[in-house]
Amino acid sequence: METIDITGGVPLGQAARKMPVAGDEGRRKKRRGQGKGRPVDPVALEEVRALLGDEPRRRDLLIEHLHKIQDRYRAISAAHLNALAEEMRLAPAEVFEVATFYHHFDVVKDGEAAPPAVTVRVCDGLSCEMAGAQNLLAMLRNGGYGEGVRVITAPCVGRCDTAPVAVVNQNPLDHATVADVDAALESKALTAAVPAYTGYDAYVAGGGYALLKACVAGERTADDVIATMENAGLRGLGGAGFPAGRKWKIVRSESAPRLMAVNIDEGEPGTFKDRFYLERDPHRFLEGMLIAAWAVGIAEIYVYLRDEYAAARAILTAEIAALQAHAPVPLPPIHLRRGAGAYICGEESAMIESIEGKKGMPRLRPPYVAQVGVFGRPTLEHNMETLYWVREIVERGAEWFASQGRNGRKGLRSFSVSGRVQKPGVHLAPAGITIRELIDEYAGGMLPGHTFYGYFPGGASGGILPASMDDIPLDFDTLNKYGCFIGSAAIIVLSDKDTAKSAALNMLRFFHDESCGQCTPCRVGTAKAVALMERGDWDKELLTDLSTVMMDASICGLGQAAPNPYLCVYKYFPHEVS
Amino acid sequence: MAIAPQRLKSSATNGAARVNFTLNGTPVAAQPDETILQAADRHGIEIPRLCYKDGYRPDGNCRVCMVEIEGERVLAPSCCRMPSEGMNVNSTGERATKSQKMVTELLLTDMPGQTTSPYKRASELDVWAGKLGVAAARYPQREQWAPDLSHPAMSVNLDACIQCGRCVRACREEQVNDVIGYAWRGEHAKIVFDFDDPMGVSSCVACGECVQACPTGALAPANGVALIEPDKKVDSACPYCGVGCLLTYNIKDEKIIYVEGRDGPANASRLCVKGRFGFDYVHNPKRLTKPMIRKEGVAKTSALLDPDDMWTAFREATWEEALDLAGGKLRAIREQRGPKGLAGFGSAKGSNEEAYLFQKLVRTGFGTNNVDH
Ligand SMILES: Cc1cc2nc3c(=O)[nH]c(=O)nc-3n(C[C@H](O)[C@H](O)[C@H](O)COP(=O)(O)O)c2cc1C
Ligand code: SF4
Ligand code: SF4
Ligand code: FES
Ligand code: FES
Repeated sequence: METIDITGGVPLGQAARKMPVAGDEGRRKKRRGQGKGRPVDPVALEEVRALLGDEPRRRDLLIEHLHKIQDRYRAISAAHLNALAEEMRLAPAEVFEVATFYHHFDVVKDGEAAPPAVTVRVCDGLSCEMAGAQNLLAMLRNGGYGEGVRVITAPCVGRCDTAPVAVVNQNPLDHATVADVDAALESKALTAAVPAYTGYDAYVAGGGYALLKACVAGERTADDVIATMENAGLRGLGGAGFPAGRKWKIVRSESAPRLMAVNIDEGEPGTFKDRFYLERDPHRFLEGMLIAAWAVGIAEIYVYLRDEYAAARAILTAEIAALQAHAPVPLPPIHLRRGAGAYICGEESAMIESIEGKKGMPRLRPPYVAQVGVFGRPTLEHNMETLYWVREIVERGAEWFASQGRNGRKGLRSFSVSGRVQKPGVHLAPAGITIRELIDEYAGGMLPGHTFYGYFPGGASGGILPASMDDIPLDFDTLNKYGCFIGSAAIIVLSDKDTAKSAALNMLRFFHDESCGQCTPCRVGTAKAVALMERGDWDKELLTDLSTVMMDASICGLGQAAPNPYLCVYKYFPHEVS
Repeated sequence: MAIAPQRLKSSATNGAARVNFTLNGTPVAAQPDETILQAADRHGIEIPRLCYKDGYRPDGNCRVCMVEIEGERVLAPSCCRMPSEGMNVNSTGERATKSQKMVTELLLTDMPGQTTSPYKRASELDVWAGKLGVAAARYPQREQWAPDLSHPAMSVNLDACIQCGRCVRACREEQVNDVIGYAWRGEHAKIVFDFDDPMGVSSCVACGECVQACPTGALAPANGVALIEPDKKVDSACPYCGVGCLLTYNIKDEKIIYVEGRDGPANASRLCVKGRFGFDYVHNPKRLTKPMIRKEGVAKTSALLDPDDMWTAFREATWEEALDLAGGKLRAIREQRGPKGLAGFGSAKGSNEEAYLFQKLVRTGFGTNNVDH
């Protein structure tokens, strides 16, 4: 293979030249306030000022500003970081800890080499690994791309139905092969292609925003709309399943100003439903969001989108602008915020910390975000898909939604199906459908040569069930008695070519990489679990003890659910570990 | 957790309603604003704690203080949780104890040698491990960080760090120096100075609050002195300035080995670099410890005296003699030139009370208002 040199791309900025740390001499002359330890490089400061333009230097914009530096220089040098701290009147240590928390910021310390201009991220999530990601990774690493390209792994990038996936800078390649990566490098296809979707005009032409207008015009009351949501029984689709209507009621009763935070971090391995809807019908979500904001009396809205969804970011940026330009009703301010590579920022309080420009470390509850959320204000926090269904439910009525469902359950679910099935993808199916029905009726059956062996009913966190337990209605609550949960309805189907044991290890590695590092049970627990599981011969006593403290004493759902995969192996796949 | 810092003092007693709850089967009453842990302390019930430090904002990250609250799905951190009326809390039951012990074991697992701290005598982790009966660490150890001995007064050995974040709160919230951060994430999360710089070249002002805050000795006074058992502890006030910070001198073989801040109205256990680390002068053989009087016939000069050769110019005197001499001379000037011939310039090291006495002397004794420091 030819060596491709792409270093010519963007220069790392004059300021990236080595900046000495202030020695004794420098410390004598230190200024009060920012940058006491190391002098601020004037060139770097000018570069940072130019990038920030006249945007506010508010703390909550720190991550946005870090993105500007990373995008421009493909790295964040110590000099730029120091200049940013100076410019934002923040302590260097605080800026450094935020920048290093997020995987998509390449902080380059004094004297360290800047990363190559091109980064190829190979998804090593379970669905991609089952589709040969490790093989692809090995081939790319031996690809002889030279200095200009680095090949690294990435956690699930939310395209599991087209596994394996590689992302070249911001350009995701579905069913990726080495040839695809070569082609992308050669043609410098480094940005995401934006798929065709329903834009503002088309959405309005199809009757869009009529409901919102009717609400604001007083043709419907907030009480009615909330009652409809409650009667429909729509539950939060981000994973926790809290009844949406009830959440609106709770937040509405809190004191103003109330804020809203929309969760499009979609990091749960196996989940890609939010991206699916965003890339097709973004205004349906935006209208639902605005109806919720109207019903609850929301002053400002923050939309948090994971960094991996570059196409969706382009769409949302354009469509929010279009919406604001032709506002069907007076709009509250809508702020689109960009994640930076951290699964934990999908946890609602971690997301709020991130919106505030901090590390994504979950907060302790109580107080709940409904009472103390973004900037300490009562906050309505929703998964994007929950809001996506608002318009249809209110238009068609609570009855319509509640009358869907199967096996005694109510409503619809968007299942993200991946793994060993013929037709992976987002399948909108009745809540309560069994895995067998889902595979046969929606996912086109198992892949040829593969026999159904087991499944993850709810992404990485929701546990693993064996093929023999194929008649459980898939819905909130129904899986609890098996030690599992449906979460974001990410179904990963395993076959006789897979083992639950290696699937569990894949997931524990994910949790280990994504733990925020705040609390002992999860920070240390995920690390020890991976170390024990990598031994091949699992130590049941040690792993069980570990699971107790992780489930009982972790701060957030990540640590609490992290042992689920291996506990399910012990429970449902004992032959693999005996 | 980054909610607005609040100071939780266990001593507050006022008219607001107490909260009655049950702790380990016993009815107890918490003061308003008191956490479960603080209420337990007042009732003599000991709950382990590591990331909690009295007076600091509780952060709730170490999870060693977990208690079981009836009706709740998971355990709760007693250092952060307020009791509510009628709550049923258990800190010693099987479930709570299991987590307390497991957290301790996991932290012990990652200590150098998987055993007691090699940097600090009776570290808080070691004390709790002892009380909880956690002896052996059964898990594989993490990769360790290299030591950072770049600072003359403090040593950084993060192989003993339990990531409790007390040093971050010490530096950022208590002293507002903003030098220490907690960078990266997950298992790789690390205590850093500025941009992960060596402590000695960072913007650290060496107040040592982080050393005082660290429960394991990962941050410790340099040269291993935290391992030495002092012969005695002497409570004192800092001699450097008039603020009056209280401190404790730890003494071994009649030498000060290290200093700890002591809770006083002026300093709430905090110190600055001088009070904490600037005590070597005490044992300096050249330190003046007795009154001296210039010898007859030795002329005054502006040249600096050689400290090794003081006795050619001075002789030892008693306090009475020295005070008589100085007082006599001051009186002579006043008689000769009147009050305008004198002014008082006191030391910034004097305490408030000493400053008061000094101005009293100048105003009433000298008869002038020309007094300053
Ligand atoms: C570790 C962790 C990761 C999460 N990731 C997401 C996510 O990516 N997207 C999401 O909407 N909710 C996620 N959640 C759930 C949110 O905390 C929250 O429950 C949800 O966004 C609420 O919105 P809903 O009521 O509309 O479902 C996550 C929770 C945990 C504990
Ligand atoms: S459980 Fe894990 S992710 Fe959650 S707060 Fe603790 S360390 Fe962070
Ligand atoms: S250095 Fe000490 S105080 Fe700081 S986090 Fe580590 S153990 Fe805690
Ligand atoms: S995209 Fe690779 S596992 Fe989800
Ligand atoms: S002492 Fe309560 S969590 Fe650390």
